[in-house]
Order: sequence, then C-alpha cells, then structure tokens
Amino acid sequence: MKLTEKIQEAAGFIRSIADFQPEIALILGSGLGTLADEIEEARVIEYSAIPHFPVSTVAGHAGRLVLGMLEGKKVAAMQGRFHYYEGYSMQQVTFPVYVLKALGCKALVVTNACGGLNRDFRPGDLMLITDHINILPNPLIGPNYEELGPRFPDMSRAYDPQYRELALEVGRDLGITLRQGVYMAISGPSYSTPAELRMLITLGADTVGMSTIPEVIVANYLGMRVLGISCITDMALPDELEPLTHEQVVRVANETRPRFINLVRAWLRRVDP
Amino acid sequence: MDNTYKLLDEAVALLRRRGFGQPRVAVILGSGLGDLADGLAAPVAVDYSEIPGFAPSTVPGHAGRLVFGAWEGVSVVAMQGRYHGYEGYSQRQIAFALWTLAALGAKSLLVTNAAGGLNPEFRPGDLMLIADHINFTGGNPLIGPNPQRFGPRFPDLSRAYSPRLREIARETARELGIPLREGVYLAVTGPCYETPAEIRSFRRLGADAVGMSTVPEVIAAVHAGLEVAGISCITNMAAGMGAEKLSHEEVIEAAARVKSKFAALAARLIVRIGRDAK
Repeated sequence: MKLTEKIQEAAGFIRSIADFQPEIALILGSGLGTLADEIEEARVIEYSAIPHFPVSTVAGHAGRLVLGMLEGKKVAAMQGRFHYYEGYSMQQVTFPVYVLKALGCKALVVTNACGGLNRDFRPGDLMLITDHINILPNPLIGPNYEELGPRFPDMSRAYDPQYRELALEVGRDLGITLRQGVYMAISGPSYSTPAELRMLITLGADTVGMSTIPEVIVANYLGMRVLGISCITDMALPDELEPLTHEQVVRVANETRPRFINLVRAWLRRVDP
Repeated sequence: MDNTYKLLDEAVALLRRRGFGQPRVAVILGSGLGDLADGLAAPVAVDYSEIPGFAPSTVPGHAGRLVFGAWEGVSVVAMQGRYHGYEGYSQRQIAFALWTLAALGAKSLLVTNAAGGLNPEFRPGDLMLIADHINFTGGNPLIGPNPQRFGPRFPDLSRAYSPRLREIARETARELGIPLREGVYLAVTGPCYETPAEIRSFRRLGADAVGMSTVPEVIAAVHAGLEVAGISCITNMAAGMGAEKLSHEEVIEAAARVKSKFAALAARLIVRIGRDAK
C-alpha cells in the first residue's frame, strides 16, 4: 500500500473517533509525557488501535495519541514516540508526523531528553534546539510523493526562527533559563563512548540524543513549522564520563518537568501557529 | 558468489546484441549535462529497464539509459541519468551499473555532478575538479559478496581520483580558458538539503563541496580498476553560506547557466582521456 493511502487510513480512523481538527502537534519525549494528561476535553486513542501505527516498546513511553485543548489551542499530543533503536524503519518512526499533518497540524513541538556536550550546560537545563546534525538514515529516502512535499526539501531553517524567538521571550518572562544549541542524534541504544563524544563535539554538537531529527526532517518536508526543546538530563563530557543509566535520565527529566511544562504551556498560550 | 556474474554476462550480451562496442571511456552525466550524450556520433541507446540486473526505476518519468557512441573517434559509453541513493536504490545496485561499464571494456570513467559549495572561496557556477572524497552516506557499494573478477575484497582508495587524469583535466581546462577549482567532495544520501550545522561540521571534516551522488559510483569504479576523473559544478553555496533557502529549481538554473562551459570541458576531457588511454 502506498504511503499516502496509509496516511489517509490512519487519519480517517482518528477522525472517526475524534471529530476534531488539531492545529499544533506535540511529540512528548522522556519525562514530559504527563503534559498530555493536562489536555482538556481530551480524546485518547491508543497507538495500537490506529491503522499502520507501530507500537511503542520502551518503558516510560505510554503510546497514545491525545487530542484536545491546551492553553486555548487545539492540540494533538503524542504521548510516547517511536525510536529507530527499537527496530522501526525510519518511515515507521516518522509515520505519525505525516498523520498529524493530515489531521490539520501546521506546527510541531518536539521535546526530548538528551546528554549535554557543551561545558556551559548542566543537568536539568532546558535547551532550545537551534539546528541539528543528522548522521542517521534519512527518513525521506525512497520514491517521493510530490503531493506531500518537494524531492529536495530545504533544511536551512529547520527550527522556525520566529518560534524560537517566542520561546526565548516566554522563558525570560517566566524566569526560566533557556540554553540554545545544536542537537545531534545517534541511533543508540548504546550510549556514546568518550571517543565518539569527542567526535560529536568536534562536529559542532551541543547535545546528543536518540530521537527528534527524523521527525523534524519530515515535518519540514511537509511544510510544518517546528519548535524543538531538549531537557539536558546528564552531561556527556568525554573526559569526565560516569556510567549512565536510563533511571538517572528519567529522574532528572522528572525533576525538570514542572519547568518544562510551564515553558511549553506558556509558549502554546502565546503562539499564533 | 551470488548471481552477480550471471546478470553481468546477460547485461553485456544484451548490450553487445544492441550494438555496443568496446568503449574507451565511460561517463556519468549529472544534473544539467544529460543531453551531452545526444552529441555522440552513431549512438545506440538502451533503457536501464531493459538491461538485466539494472534496477527498475522508482521515479515516474525517470529517463535512465545507457548510450554508446563515438566522440571525435573516441568510443564512449554514457550513463544518461544516474541512480541516487535517496531514490531508494541500494548502493549495490549502483555498483552493478559500474561493473557493467567495466565489463563492456571501459578503462576510464569521467563522472560529473552538481554540488553545493562549502569552501568560502567558491562561487555558484564554479567548476571543481574532485581531488578526493569523503563517504558520508553511511553505506558502501561493495558491501556483500565480492566479485573477485573485478577487484579485491579491500580496494585501495588512496588515489581514487587518478593524479594522471587530474593533470590532464587541469591542462584541458587551461587550454579552454576555463577556471577550474579543486577540492574534496563529500557525499550525503539526501534527499533533504543540509542544515547549516551539518555544513559547518562537513567543513571541519575537510570537505569543499557536498552532494548526493558520485561517491558510490567512484568506489565501485575504482574497485573495478577504472581510472577515474570527477568534476563538480558548484550550483549553489551550501546552507548557511549564501542564499536564504535552497531549492532544486535554483540548482537546475545554476547548472543551466554554466552548462556550455561544463559541457565544453567534459567533451574535450573525454576525447583527451580516450586518446591518452593507457
């Protein structure tokens, strides 16, 4: 079945459950999933019920789509995302973005937990993603569907400058310090070695994670405007590297959550998507 | 061994039946140069879709064909339309096309492409002789069983772009009065254009130009013992280094502007390489 038909089936199913046209899509990463519980007039759909959706396998990632109102905006939130390291193809990882766009979303807010490479950063910091460096397989490889987007999409402003400016303003007003930097994704699931981290730093990365970039590439391809925010859950400094566990990452993400949620909510309140 | 040899034999047999002789030079014509092959004397053309082992086109209206003919007495086989990794082809499928050119008897390869400029001294419209490459595609066309008939399991790439042919290219450009840059080509898969952060990282890695082709072809060609020369047309400055947004239309326009210069150099070079063949 063609990708475009799969998108229509999935979007059609969602519309049949929730007669609602969202304008902003949220992909909620590690620790921020609970933001979806704050959505009002929520309609919840398990991923497993949606045609062609893969099923999330990671502990701490719920795996459901929540549609409703948040800060006066019509949102569709992905509570749990699909990661390449789980064994999904890049097309599966990014399939929900196509569906969110088909449902009517013009904007995408992506969040994640990641490791800090920039020495000025601290665990618990929030970072506005200014740009990314992709070293993973590109999700757009394969035949192109001209009706979805161009064969060679521009990535010179993958993270919308106006959205970033608004996030900085909102951070200032709330007294939340917001770092800025370049996000780089490795496939995982293993964390990076010190030698690999040195390489990522040399290439210009400020943070390292295992998600987000495939979704952002597809969102740009589809003409969506993107805001990306990372929670720095640990420092990944090559010469001071301590053994890291997923539990630590989850703990710092949870501690940062109230600030993170405040920031995203205030941004949603003020954005004109 | 898989069935690579069987398919290659079938491909060569078909091409011979259709009138392909032994080419001195193979050329791969990139964006904007495709119609150079139309200038060949007594051309014969076969669509990729007819050639055993050649990948079927994934792109509607994708005009891919192999053309055999002569240029000032030099026999040439040209790939008119190439396979790109971003279309979904495996690099192995790209290698198969190059092995076919080698099996037809080609001894040299001229490869051309359109690329984004990373070297701040470059300008859109510049031509760049490829001095070396960086394979950033994440793949390699030689992964899989090795067809020993063509080359070794672990081919050397210390001189992937022949110093001898590069000297000939410099001389040819001088004779024609065409300025020729020289630099390192880095290949990504695409299809999206690069982000500014990616472009900065590629500059740190030592790249002068970035594109979405050529490297898999050159690796397979070198493996098969072909002497390779490569020329890039710098159609745009890469993200964060010039124009606001990148579009395919802009690339096509820039390629069209320098086409006559590029075509003149490529045509002359093919003849020189053919006559100087070892």
